Amino acid sequence: MPHGNPRFVHGKILHNTGSGIFYRMEVAIPERIDFVPGQFAMVSGWPGNDPLLPRPLAIFRSGGVRGKGTVEFVYKVVGRGTALLSGLHAGDPLALTLPLGHGFEFPGEDRSWWLVGGGVGFSSVFPAAAALEGQRADFEIFLGARTRDQLPPGEWIPGGAVPGRVHLCTDDGTAGFFGTVAAALRDRIDRRRPTGPARVAILACGPREMLKAVAELALPLDIRVQVSLESWMACGFGVCWGCVTAVRDGEKSGYRRVCKEGPVFDAREVVW
Amino acid sequence: MTQSVTPDLSARVGSVLLKNPVMSASGTFGYGLEFTPFYDISRLGAVIVKGLSLLPTPGNPPGRIVETPAGMLNAIGLQNIGVERFVTEVAPRLDDLGAVYVANIYGRTIEEYEAVARRLSEVPALAAIELNASCPNVKEGGIAFGSNPEGLSGLTRRVRAATPKPLWVKLSPNVSDIGAIARAAEEAGADAVTLINTLVGMAVDPRTRRPMLSNVTGGLSGPAVKPVALRMVWEACKAVKIPVVGIGGIQSAGDALEFLLVGAAAVQVGTANFRNPNACVEIVDGIRDFFVRERIFRLDDYRGKLLLRE
Repeated sequence: MPHGNPRFVHGKILHNTGSGIFYRMEVAIPERIDFVPGQFAMVSGWPGNDPLLPRPLAIFRSGGVRGKGTVEFVYKVVGRGTALLSGLHAGDPLALTLPLGHGFEFPGEDRSWWLVGGGVGFSSVFPAAAALEGQRADFEIFLGARTRDQLPPGEWIPGGAVPGRVHLCTDDGTAGFFGTVAAALRDRIDRRRPTGPARVAILACGPREMLKAVAELALPLDIRVQVSLESWMACGFGVCWGCVTAVRDGEKSGYRRVCKEGPVFDAREVVW
Repeated sequence: MTQSVTPDLSARVGSVLLKNPVMSASGTFGYGLEFTPFYDISRLGAVIVKGLSLLPTPGNPPGRIVETPAGMLNAIGLQNIGVERFVTEVAPRLDDLGAVYVANIYGRTIEEYEAVARRLSEVPALAAIELNASCPNVKEGGIAFGSNPEGLSGLTRRVRAATPKPLWVKLSPNVSDIGAIARAAEEAGADAVTLINTLVGMAVDPRTRRPMLSNVTGGLSGPAVKPVALRMVWEACKAVKIPVVGIGGIQSAGDALEFLLVGAAAVQVGTANFRNPNACVEIVDGIRDFFVRERIFRLDDYRGKLLLRE
């Protein structure tokens, strides 16, 4: 089930600053919103009809008091929409529909949580770290990027100073583990022996190939995996049916909406 | 002191009375329920529900939408829960919402269209049925129903006989003479025509050399199609006596007013709902504000009053 009813609001940018390849944008909105980690917003701010559609951005943080709120996003410029967003300044208006979608689930059980972010995917899993900290749950963070410069700044990583908590991985070996996030997870699982990977749950967001590799590694070991998927979407709240992904439904498979039944799915259901 | 009078925005599409001329277009508004977090949907003229087929339809594989300049292409493939689940699970929830509903229907064969129309005739919440005659193929020959007057006439006549509900026929713009198509629907017993459905288009990725849509082609909508839609609505208005409902790229009250001016009895707003969930009600409010400013008291004093050089 989606968590909470979405709203369409007009906001005002408080700051929108680049840090390496990432932008961090905070927006003042009329009401404080509560969100579940993994939920997102549809965001547009450029004038005119081109590009036509708002862009989905994971909600990184929300704050404020009753009657006055803020919401924060982290994004990377990938196309025209995000390029236009990156050119907006403090004081510029923004239209937002939020919070949207089905986020990560945290059953209150005694587990080790491994949060996995590939590329800008960390923006969807870092909020989960804040929630887990609140539950005093044990978690580790795995971050993958092509190269050192494409990892998030260290000060953004929740609990980054805790020894052994953060595992950085780069495809070219310029920082941390030399290899993919999936390879680093395999390494971590091996080191967990003899107790094995029991009672570990993974929350992951990143490129589809990464999510697939993580699921194929972890599911056979009975590690529970939730993945946050990306898709092109027009509306973000379930009416255009443009963003679907194939999922298993018992013996059959069908198309479910990434924006409504997702973006977070149980990895066992996803047809890669 | 001048007193502002609330203008009368009520509209009429045949026997169907609407509190204002703004409806949501099929396929962009779910079953209406999805919009209740945003506003009271009874503020709209009517809600046209997503196309219903006889059996549940899985839809096309992903690669269903692509953004284009000032528009978008879609090839959803009419994913829907089927008429039976609509009637038993969704329709009972609509009564409480107080809106006027029109069901859009779709079939692979004429028999399927008839069966869907017959089943929906039993739903009191529905004010009319809108026939999607704008893309499907017939059982054998693969000729689109809506692309020639004979095909459309045959389909309309059969569905007309299958339901006592007012029948609106949604027309394809992918034809050479929209007036002839609209007349065919009128002569076959349609109570109204609604147009335009999407324009067939295509997009490819030059690097991967693949089409952007799994279906290869899709339907173009959004502001990019508005001038074409407006011209076709104007031509249809001149061709038939039954009401014409204007659709195509309407994003603002100004856009809606253009369609009303060329003669549309009412309008439908589609793609705009995707970028702004409040689009339909903002357009209602915008039309009212325009009428107040321009001292127009009734929709009928404005509708169809396009000024042409003699």
